Amino acid sequence: MASVAAPEGPARGLAWARQDPALSAAVLALWLLLGLFVVFPLAMLAARVFWDGGHFSVAGIGAILTDRHQVQAFWNSLLLATLVGLLGTFLGFVFAFTVARGGLPRWVVTAIDGAVLLPLISPPFTTAIAFVFSFGPRGLITYELLGIKGFTIYGMGSTLFSEALTYFPIAYLALRPILAAIDSNIEGMAMSLGASRWRVFRTVTMPLCIPGLANSFLLLFAASLADFATPLILAGNAFPVLPTQAFLQITGMFDLRGGAVLSLALLVPAMAVFVLQRYWVSQRFYVTVTGKGAGTAPFESVAPGVRWVLVAACVAVTVVIAYLYALLLYASLVMAFGANHALTLRHYGVIFTEGLKAIKDTLVIAGLSMPLGGLYGVLLGYLVARKAFPGRRTMEVTSMVNYALPGTIVGIAYLIAFNDPPIELAGTALVIIACYVFRYGPTGIRTTIALLQQIDRSLEEASESLGAASGTTFRRITLPLILPAFFAGLGVVFIRSMTAISATIFLVSINWTLITVKILENMTELSLGPAAAFSVLVIAIVFVVIGAISWGLRRMRAPGAEPVTSLLGG
Amino acid sequence: MNVLKRLAVALSLPVLCLAALSSRAADTVNVYTIWPENWARPMFQEFEKATGIKVNFVRFSSGEALARVIAEKGNPRVDVLFGGPVETHSAGIKEGIFESYKPPSFAKLPARFKHPDGQWVAIADDPLVFMTNAKFLQENKLKAPASWNDLLNPAYKNMLQMADARTSGTAVTRIFSIVEVNGRDENKAFEYMKKLRPNVQLYTKSGGGGTLPVGLGQAGGGIFFIVDALDTKAKGYDVVISFPKEGIGTAAEAIALIKGAKNPELGRKLIDWATSPAMQNTFATHKINFLPAHPDVKVEPSLAEVLKDAKIFPIDADYAGANRKRMVERWIAEVLNP
Amino acid sequence: MEAVGVKVEVVSKRFSHKVKGEVWAARDVTLDVRPGEFVTMLGPSGCGKTTTLRMIAGFERPDTGRVLIGGRDVTHQLASQRNIGFVFQNYALFPHLTIGENVAYGLRVRNLPDSEIASRVREVLALVGLAGYEQQFSNQLSGGEQQRVALARAIVIRPQVLLFDEPLSNLDAKLRVQMRHEIRELQRRLAITTVYVTHDQEEAMAVSDRIAVMNQGSIVQEGTADDLYYRPASAFVAQFIGRVNLLPARVESAAAAGGEVTVLGQRVAVACLPTGARAGDAVRLVLRPEALALRAAEGAPALPRGTVEGRMFLGEKVEYVVRCGEARLQVVSYNARPGELLAEGSAVAVELKGPDIPVLPEERP
Repeated sequence: MASVAAPEGPARGLAWARQDPALSAAVLALWLLLGLFVVFPLAMLAARVFWDGGHFSVAGIGAILTDRHQVQAFWNSLLLATLVGLLGTFLGFVFAFTVARGGLPRWVVTAIDGAVLLPLISPPFTTAIAFVFSFGPRGLITYELLGIKGFTIYGMGSTLFSEALTYFPIAYLALRPILAAIDSNIEGMAMSLGASRWRVFRTVTMPLCIPGLANSFLLLFAASLADFATPLILAGNAFPVLPTQAFLQITGMFDLRGGAVLSLALLVPAMAVFVLQRYWVSQRFYVTVTGKGAGTAPFESVAPGVRWVLVAACVAVTVVIAYLYALLLYASLVMAFGANHALTLRHYGVIFTEGLKAIKDTLVIAGLSMPLGGLYGVLLGYLVARKAFPGRRTMEVTSMVNYALPGTIVGIAYLIAFNDPPIELAGTALVIIACYVFRYGPTGIRTTIALLQQIDRSLEEASESLGAASGTTFRRITLPLILPAFFAGLGVVFIRSMTAISATIFLVSINWTLITVKILENMTELSLGPAAAFSVLVIAIVFVVIGAISWGLRRMRAPGAEPVTSLLGG
Repeated sequence: MNVLKRLAVALSLPVLCLAALSSRAADTVNVYTIWPENWARPMFQEFEKATGIKVNFVRFSSGEALARVIAEKGNPRVDVLFGGPVETHSAGIKEGIFESYKPPSFAKLPARFKHPDGQWVAIADDPLVFMTNAKFLQENKLKAPASWNDLLNPAYKNMLQMADARTSGTAVTRIFSIVEVNGRDENKAFEYMKKLRPNVQLYTKSGGGGTLPVGLGQAGGGIFFIVDALDTKAKGYDVVISFPKEGIGTAAEAIALIKGAKNPELGRKLIDWATSPAMQNTFATHKINFLPAHPDVKVEPSLAEVLKDAKIFPIDADYAGANRKRMVERWIAEVLNP
Repeated sequence: MEAVGVKVEVVSKRFSHKVKGEVWAARDVTLDVRPGEFVTMLGPSGCGKTTTLRMIAGFERPDTGRVLIGGRDVTHQLASQRNIGFVFQNYALFPHLTIGENVAYGLRVRNLPDSEIASRVREVLALVGLAGYEQQFSNQLSGGEQQRVALARAIVIRPQVLLFDEPLSNLDAKLRVQMRHEIRELQRRLAITTVYVTHDQEEAMAVSDRIAVMNQGSIVQEGTADDLYYRPASAFVAQFIGRVNLLPARVESAAAAGGEVTVLGQRVAVACLPTGARAGDAVRLVLRPEALALRAAEGAPALPRGTVEGRMFLGEKVEYVVRCGEARLQVVSYNARPGELLAEGSAVAVELKGPDIPVLPEERP
């Protein structure tokens, strides 16, 4: 009967509210916030698109959506996202497999982890910039090294490679725990039955990974679909994509409504991916990731020759990443990259004088978003996973909306919704903070729910039976046990607050600006030095903060509590 | 006693704090600048030195700045839109976002440097130039291009970068220049642009987006505003600036007062100052290579030297305003996506 | 603390189930536990026993009916307000707290002074045989030890009522037997009113003063272990408690006390018949395996004949399966002497040890 006793049970009337005032206060507060920062902006966006002079209208929408150029951009976006999904998942799997089964020394794994983390914690277009300087017509590699003249970098190829390189760590982080959790005894067992290594891989390892592969494909697909900065720099004219088109429609053509229409066209594939991931893939995980160490895998599951190929591939990709970031660091330290390579610290001087306001603003915003986002994720995740109240499912779905939507849509929606009274937030830090909290907090929600699924409900019931009220139970039992989720939420919100641009480029104002916007602006202003210096600074800050969080997590994790495998998963 | 309740309070507390934080100082004027920060900042510092009024500013590209002002129409955040090619301001007039204002210098300015009603007023002039990479020219045994037709040379195949007309005022000025040198024969002008297309490696989002690639040799050359080109040269990149013998257009940089501005008096003071020699005399000091719009300000000698033999003509504002949208759409359809 | 009673009054609870639709987890359940009594709810999984227990604890709220503890209506009180001790199937020890802190938890919530908490924790850990375990964490303990900690944590708060939800089902067989004695002994010593849930009839019989057998959301019979064993009120109870041969029979004659029935072609006197049974009615006899005896076929001409189909020698007893006409009978024989074992295939006569054989009416479909 216990299995039926999940909180699906109908909460009749408003009895639940009288029963537990703390619960009802929290639910009410969350609904108010979700209504204000998720539902309201989207409604305003839809109104801007479909409401014309007081009545419903689709005039003009058709013109934009049937424009040959925009239709092409739409399909290009889907094609790019699909290819990024495939290539990134492949790379991620090769890395995860090599790390889990390759029998690598610890320091090599640590080095790979470090290099792989770099793209995740840097502003999304940093690799794109380094790409141009490496592989362009006068690129360090294409021209100086290989002597190729007139090499064209702009187009789908380089956008694809740059995005795959930027996003494959997501696949790596999603797949690694799954591969680690596949008991290598299963593989050993298959081998003992006479199967060859290749056969074991094909018939045992791969099938167990398929949900994980599908999941990471969808994650990468969504990431690519939302990315506008990489194509802005690399896609050139022959390969327009939708997020960039939406951005240009607004910033270039002064067409807010057209941009809103284009961004809404992105909604369809984005929602499809989200629904697939949530209701199809997540139901098909054969391997539960418990965080229980599966021990080191036996060497024999990979043939020595194959092992060297895998290791070589990983090392090659790692070296490329390290090279791109070394280039970025170098560009921040020379007078004028490509023209005057005298070493200087003046770009850092510039960012710490003229750029100081952006740095301060970003730190204030990230510093406020981090605890709020972490708290929001844990609280909403806890309520949704553990408490019965009307509208529980709706709340869960609503909370995921801003996360599932491409940043451009969210940014435009906020811009439209919060400029005028009654809710005039444009120009404040709050609008940026809210954007981050409600856009990146859901990672914390998912982690919390996942963690709570592993924590038996009876722990909370035990606390209640011992006389603790629901608040005390949450504070003394649940919260300590889901601390890893809280810290993971903190980490993700902080990283994104430092690096995101797609939504917030529309939200920076005269009073509050962001480092990422400065970087993009410096790029367009040809100030490569300060742009590189800003990027290096962001990476350094994120490394320090994430390091501190991981350290805190290790210290605070009590024996028996689930370890968190990654700060960035999901 | 009640953690959930306390959490709810904790979540909403910063809202109140931040609402309180967002108040504005009284003696500060708020500005969106289209000029890059490294030129806008010294100008505003000079303004503060001269008047004691602080300028709170943020930089956006022309399209972005205009989109923002339009989005904020009901509740403007800034008082002044500073800089940017005049066609940006022309687009804004239709949206009704500007307040007419005629500063003291208004009478002295030539007609092409002001909107008849004072919806915008020019603060500088910015001619287009050809900019090429010296090493590229040397390697391909080319001379700096001296005619529009020089750019059609196959040696430039896939090596030119210039701005995208969807996003950049530079590009619009370029297109009107081409129309003008072709005697306003649109078909001829577009014929030329289509011929040029194979030599274009990339249409950049911003007007100056191609200058660094040209400086680095990623691209061989392009068409840019002189202010961007000279800046690239000043940074140490080995580039050559040249002008076509057929002539090339120039665009005014304008300033405008926002309708419904919260500090209109301070905004007017900034416009008074920016349209007067008081500001435009400092261009040279700060190595900003705009041509002054005010007739009393002398062009800085080294800049005058560059422009010595150049044939430069103004773009007819009325003609451009009337045909801008059509031209850009035709450019997208016939040149960008043939 | 004065022991108090627990009353469950016509309590019902429904759940919506994804496959089955609306299901009754509990339907008009009424249970009266006297102060200090040890009552077990016994039944197959899904019978509603756990739901009923959770409603007593306050983890679930009944749709209708009332729950009273010590005469006070607690139906709308939260679990935290009921002063109960609950022992979970999976122990539910807080993994981030030490054993000492786990046990102290309920006392800390009650804001007792540290010195009293320390001494009470020490006392109760000694009581369950875990003195000195204060600083350990639960994952360093064996299953049996963890269950003792859970028990200690539940009783240290001196609850009015102690509730157990299948507490022993995660333990191995030997430990299970040992723990149920410990639980029973502890409950006697502390005289705490106790409600216990299990699906294991032997465990229920070993620990309880009284057993309530549940099926499909309802209590079908209550009584002491021997009541239920010897006087089952239904075929379900007869089959659930102990092993049984349910044989169809016909009433031959009915008197004020008892009568005669025919079973396996033989007339047998019974001490009591179902109420209102008349001659010619179809009934069923509840024949426990030990209520049958096997005789050598030659020496007992009047008894029904059968053939031994299977034999299992278990030391103190021998279990036979005997084919007797259409029926296959389970028979247990104790104290068989060496050489008296019946071989498979041998013909036997089956003797029914009357007259206190329970008789059930034919169940209507």
